[in-house]
Amino acid sequence: MNCEWVKDNAFLYAYDELPDDQRFEFEQHVNRCPNCAEEVKALKGLREVMSAAPMLEPSPSFLAESRMKLQEQLEIAQQERGWKRWFFDPFAMLSSMKFSPALAAAILIFGFVGGAGVAYKMASNRAGGHPDGGHVIFTPAPSTEASIAGIRDIQKDPNTNKVSIKYDTLQPQTAEGDLNDAKIQQLLLYAARNNTNTGVRLNAVSLSGEQANDAKVRDALKASLRYDTNPGVRMKALEALTPYIKDDATVRDVVLEVLLHDNNGGVRSLALQTLQPVSADSAVRMELQYLADKDKDQAIKRQAQAMLATLPEID
Amino acid sequence: MPGQQTAGRVDDTNLIRAAQQGNHRAFEELIRQYDQAVLRLALHLTGSPDDAQDIYQEAFLKAYKSVGNFRFECSFYTWIYRIVTNLCLDHLRKRQVRKEESAVVSDSEGDEFSLLDTVSDDRAAHNPERDLMRKELGRKIGKALTRLTERERMVFELKHYQGLKLRTIGEMLNTTEETAKNTLFRATQKLRTSLAEMR
Repeated sequence: MNCEWVKDNAFLYAYDELPDDQRFEFEQHVNRCPNCAEEVKALKGLREVMSAAPMLEPSPSFLAESRMKLQEQLEIAQQERGWKRWFFDPFAMLSSMKFSPALAAAILIFGFVGGAGVAYKMASNRAGGHPDGGHVIFTPAPSTEASIAGIRDIQKDPNTNKVSIKYDTLQPQTAEGDLNDAKIQQLLLYAARNNTNTGVRLNAVSLSGEQANDAKVRDALKASLRYDTNPGVRMKALEALTPYIKDDATVRDVVLEVLLHDNNGGVRSLALQTLQPVSADSAVRMELQYLADKDKDQAIKRQAQAMLATLPEID
Repeated sequence: MPGQQTAGRVDDTNLIRAAQQGNHRAFEELIRQYDQAVLRLALHLTGSPDDAQDIYQEAFLKAYKSVGNFRFECSFYTWIYRIVTNLCLDHLRKRQVRKEESAVVSDSEGDEFSLLDTVSDDRAAHNPERDLMRKELGRKIGKALTRLTERERMVFELKHYQGLKLRTIGEMLNTTEETAKNTLFRATQKLRTSLAEMR
């Protein structure tokens, strides 16, 4: 082993990358050669200096926020994947289409957010709003016994019986703020898509409907109309979207889809009523004609026929 | 350290297979083992919480969309990091790191601080001169890192700050261990030169 080789591989030694057999010879050489020893010292010094810039550790709230945003994107990706299958085989897919129950992730995330000392309580604007005119109030959450949300890691000390277990805890939180507040809206949209409790989703959709002039809110309502497993929630979303049926073509498209493919007669009937203002539109008229001729639901068939009867003849 | 095997690491195989069959919970449980390390890597490399979050999201969305293509030819950890490192390399190529302020990053509240300010050091608190020296050193380190190419920076980051073996780094960057070694060699040489010039 010569000096050239040692100097070329000193960085590997400094970073513990030399194989054991080479490491022994390397050390033997360095012990005898002051120049090479100096090189090794310089590289170890470099390693120490570079370590003076410490690793930035994501804070718990930053990690929770990142996870929440990722969860939203994954839900959208999951729904888009389901929608593509729905397009090709709607009747088979409708029976299996459901929200991904993200409850564990949601409560874990809420627990993390709560760990930063923030607490929220839901309030409606109709109840009088907030005295601050839109600022979210942070109130301490009542102390509750935290329950375990998941186990992250288990380590045992090889020399003792001591075991170290890392786990996440769940802590309920409440939020209070104005309906116009962005954070409140974000929570509402999340609840509309990610909650397993139908009542909560219903409330979330209902409240979101008051802000449906926001495109992002409208997108969430469309998603609820397409994918929510509960017909009541779908109908609530439909009601919220009704004012936009004339001006927003994407709303009209979603309502047409629902009219063709929803498995609930009440939802379909409401969808038909919603299309009344735009029944003269050629795409809508075609669909009405199809329903009037071929739909298996007699009530829908009659409703479509009645709507067509009110339309002027096409030349 | 992410490179070390822990006794408690969950067997990924069943989770991966379940995720490939469309089990969303399995996928979420799978990525939960790695997401903190991924965010840490992205944050340290970019110095920006917003960019780190973008890389974090994009990486796991890509993983979700392509988990069906995972063939167990490497560990899931390596596979995920391959996605992340590619995104980080793209980021490094697109953005010019600010040379004078490369040791300055923004925290999640948007406030800027020096990397060295995050280190809890009781001695520094009682020694303003030493504190100043450490900040200056942080600035020099940041500046020295900007002189590396994207790949040199990535290899150095993964080796020095993430503690990964060169063989693993080679797999993640879709290259050989030998190439990773040569890249690390160049990186350390450049850093030595840069820091010497700044004395």
